[in-house]
Amino acid sequence: MARSLEGFLVLIVAALVYSSAVASVFQPISDSHRSVALELFTPLEGSFSSLAETYEALRTFEVLGIDKKTDINTAACQSVLETLGSSSSALKDLFYALKVNGILKCEIKKDVFEGVTSSLQATVSSAGALLDFYYSVGGLVIIKDQTSKDDLYLADAEGVFGSIKALSQSDGRWRYNSNNPESSTFAAGLALQALADVVSLSSSEIDQSLIGATKNDILKLFDSIEKYDDGTFYFDEKLVDTHEHQGPLSTTSSVVRGLTAFAAVTSGSLNLPSGKILGLARFLLGIGIPGDAKDLFNQVDSLASLESNLVAIPLILSLPATVLSLTKKDSVKVKVNTVLGSNAPPLTVKLVGVFRSGSKDTSLVEGQELKFNPESAVYALDALPKSVDVGKYTFVFEMVLHDPDHLNLYATGGQTQIPIFVTGLVKVDSAEIAVLDSDLGSTETKKIDLSGENTVSLSANHLQKLRLSFQLSTSLGHAFKPHQAILKLTHESKVEHSFVVGSSGKHFLGLVEKFFYLSGKYNVQLTVGDAVMENSFLKAIGHLDLDLPEPPEKAAQPPPQLLDQKLRYGPKAEITHIFRVPEKLPPKELSHAFLGLTLLPLLGFLIGLLHLGVNLKNFPSSSVPAMFAVLFHLGIAAVLLLYALFWLKWDLFTTLKALGFLGAFLMFVGHRILSHLASISSKLKSA
Amino acid sequence: MGRNYFTILTVLSIPPTDRRLLVLLDDLSLKSSHSIFFNSLKSRGFDLDFKLADDPKLALQRYGQYLYDGLIIFSPSIERFGGVVDLAAVLDFVDSGHDLIIAADSSSSDLIKSLATECGVDFDEDPSALVIDHKSYAVAETEGDHTLIAADDFIESDVLLGKKKIEAPVLFQGIAHSLNAANTLVLKVLSASPLAYSANPNSKLSSPPSLTGSSISLVSVVQARNNARIMITGSLDMFSNRFLRSSVQKAGSPRKYDKSGNEQFVTELSKWVFHVRGHLKAVNLRHNKAGETDEPAMYRIKDDLVFSVEIYEWSGKSWEPYVANDVQVQLYMMSPYVLKTLSNDKKGLYHASFKVPDVYGVFQFKVEYHRLGYTSLSLSKQIPVRPFRHNEYERFITAAFPYYGASFTMMAGFFLFSFVYLYHK
Repeated sequence: MARSLEGFLVLIVAALVYSSAVASVFQPISDSHRSVALELFTPLEGSFSSLAETYEALRTFEVLGIDKKTDINTAACQSVLETLGSSSSALKDLFYALKVNGILKCEIKKDVFEGVTSSLQATVSSAGALLDFYYSVGGLVIIKDQTSKDDLYLADAEGVFGSIKALSQSDGRWRYNSNNPESSTFAAGLALQALADVVSLSSSEIDQSLIGATKNDILKLFDSIEKYDDGTFYFDEKLVDTHEHQGPLSTTSSVVRGLTAFAAVTSGSLNLPSGKILGLARFLLGIGIPGDAKDLFNQVDSLASLESNLVAIPLILSLPATVLSLTKKDSVKVKVNTVLGSNAPPLTVKLVGVFRSGSKDTSLVEGQELKFNPESAVYALDALPKSVDVGKYTFVFEMVLHDPDHLNLYATGGQTQIPIFVTGLVKVDSAEIAVLDSDLGSTETKKIDLSGENTVSLSANHLQKLRLSFQLSTSLGHAFKPHQAILKLTHESKVEHSFVVGSSGKHFLGLVEKFFYLSGKYNVQLTVGDAVMENSFLKAIGHLDLDLPEPPEKAAQPPPQLLDQKLRYGPKAEITHIFRVPEKLPPKELSHAFLGLTLLPLLGFLIGLLHLGVNLKNFPSSSVPAMFAVLFHLGIAAVLLLYALFWLKWDLFTTLKALGFLGAFLMFVGHRILSHLASISSKLKSA
Repeated sequence: MGRNYFTILTVLSIPPTDRRLLVLLDDLSLKSSHSIFFNSLKSRGFDLDFKLADDPKLALQRYGQYLYDGLIIFSPSIERFGGVVDLAAVLDFVDSGHDLIIAADSSSSDLIKSLATECGVDFDEDPSALVIDHKSYAVAETEGDHTLIAADDFIESDVLLGKKKIEAPVLFQGIAHSLNAANTLVLKVLSASPLAYSANPNSKLSSPPSLTGSSISLVSVVQARNNARIMITGSLDMFSNRFLRSSVQKAGSPRKYDKSGNEQFVTELSKWVFHVRGHLKAVNLRHNKAGETDEPAMYRIKDDLVFSVEIYEWSGKSWEPYVANDVQVQLYMMSPYVLKTLSNDKKGLYHASFKVPDVYGVFQFKVEYHRLGYTSLSLSKQIPVRPFRHNEYERFITAAFPYYGASFTMMAGFFLFSFVYLYHK
């Protein structure tokens, strides 16, 4: 019983695939159908778009037992009166008007009916197409029911029967008219309905050979029935693009309606296997709650015709709960209903066998009878059989009808297999984690408590192995092997590795590549869970420091990890430009002090000149050279001033332009004064 | 004078919401079993066109024009689309900015899986694997294998899932997928719990499941660079009337909700996918020197400038001012020189003022706005920046006064000396 589960293991165990032949659970019509019906059939401003839709709504409400007649009554009756009173109404509208009237019982004068009757009878005798027969004969039957005119008969019932029958094909399907070679299963349903109506309108017995041939057609039609794996049967059109595509639901419901109508008016058995009728009922229920008004009508209407048919009334065995908890001491409860949810005739439900899923050899229990509680109409087994532990099971039930006459009336479908999950608490014991050396026993074993918090810290290298062991046992003391027992190691870089716990240990050596040679801290997590385990858990065990060798050159890189999706978005950090720092300049005072210092040489120069006793005796005394001398010095002063202006505000071009003129002027006056001065000094020398 | 030019990718005057949707089905009965979802789309003004996925007349475009704005693929088992539609056609449809919803389930074909792979998510390759969660499953009397998940680990985003918090868990039954780490556009909207794993519930686990824990995504969305939006989920049942109407109770939680969160979840997410929500547009990108109103042809380094742009959000009916405090502008030349968060006046106008850096060259104003769930805005406007002109530098530098002093005293000395030299006797 003690089972040690070891980590770091990748073992391939042949997968055990359970057979999926177990039937699904079908639930009969319930209250949720009623609320959806009210939602889907909502008249727009008090009326529906067409009489056909009005009929579908009224019929659905009638079957489901919803009283909504008064809301629709006025507008619908108005529309019925208009249609029946008008001579130009289409046949289809007449038919649906009569059908609506059949439910609402509007006040219609006798002569209106007379008019409609005669026009319908005229149509029947001249009709050639299936739909014409269907609408006109159907209309006449309704009039007969409503007006209780017992003398309403078809003049040539056998002839009409024959002309409808003439449209049938050898495979049991029907053509819409004689010109159209395409046959349809949907049409077969309509034809059977029309034939049933003809029989009920016939004043005398219809020829038994014609009836027999039709029964044969039905049997052939059932040869083309299609099947799902879970035991449901349905009809579908073979050709998809016939004039108006009908899905499996409308096709099936058309056939079911026609079949039950035909069975109701003819004597003698149809010899149809009751399993197929049950299969059809299961198909119709298996759809669940349709979201479309037309589909809902088809489902509800055809289930209603199965509810009281003469072929075989399907009984649906359902379980309110297929998940049973051992801790809550749930008991097996079974309901048996008709398709519309009414109670079944007296019968006994037996639990024939309980099998563990996957092994069909021996039943865990002997046949047991379920106790019936008349108040809640529930069959129950007080307690689960003692030998039933947590796990997946297949319970096999059988219905046994009390009244032997009922055997032919009802379809129980023999044994019903239902998958059951028995859940319970699983005890976790003696959990241990250890790092083992390759040859000998463990170096360090640490007990862990899988019901509380753990912060185990371990370290290992690639030559060691890790062992994790714990025991799981059910409340009955059996060892339990969960579906999910996964040890997960998560590296700091978020690289994850999962291992199925349950076979022998493996060296880190064989795993280094799988670990992408990532040494470092790994978080260790254990997940244990199963569908039948009520205390599935995820526990952090602690962490493991792995010391792995350096990666070789061509080692695979760890796969990229997903970025946190919140980090991917969001504003970026702001950037402000860093401006260049201006050059470091000396303080103003220093500059001014040095400015003062630069004035000193000029001062020294002036003082020096005074010391030398400078005179200007050489200045020309005659007027023309004196004028040139003055102009020459003014010119020099102007050039110097120009420099000052250049510094203060002018640019180089203005300055150079002015300097050009001044330079030429200076050249001229400078030449005159300097040559004058030179001639004086040469005179002096020669003198 | 160099003319500025700018590009605005997202200037749309027409409403961005989709109108015409093509719904591809495996089986027409899905129209009835998923009618609540379809009717809710119809009541929100979408035109739905239902087609069988293998319809031989199937086409997404005619004469080069797309016939639909969005595509809903509810046909998980389809091996090959009918008509002229194939994987490449669907991808082209998305590449031209149209939206897509893909729902897969355990019967998913290779076609649907490879379509999902192209969109950046990888479905579990094991065809029999389902998401199993032994802790956050939905309590159901008749579902015992814990594949009916009650998921409530939603992404935190009002734009994706609407302002109203989804209280009830979302029912999910289907297959797991993971996000491709190399794809930065795909987002996990609904994640599985840490205990979840993807495996066949009916067979023993022999090797570790390829997908475990929160890395399993139940519902993911992608917003492509062209703002085409894609939703991918591994559960077609998620949209079904059965799940939408079902009550839900998460295992271990005492609270039972009368209605699952599915309806709210799929309705809100479909609003996002078909661009009813989360669509932004930016207009009137302007900039000028501080104190001026005209847009200059060029800036000088160290100029003070004001940048502004208007951003509006589509509310499903009209463009409303978009209010956020994380819109940023960049002044960009090879790399951003300035990156500044814009302040807004709550009426859609975003502005910022800053100094042009002291680097000259051809810059761009860039607004790159990528936020979770919103369409991305990518605007740029080119603007040259020039250095100082020669006369824009400082003219009288105090530190140079000694030099000036020296020059001018020398000039004065020269002037005096010219007299002394020429006329001294």
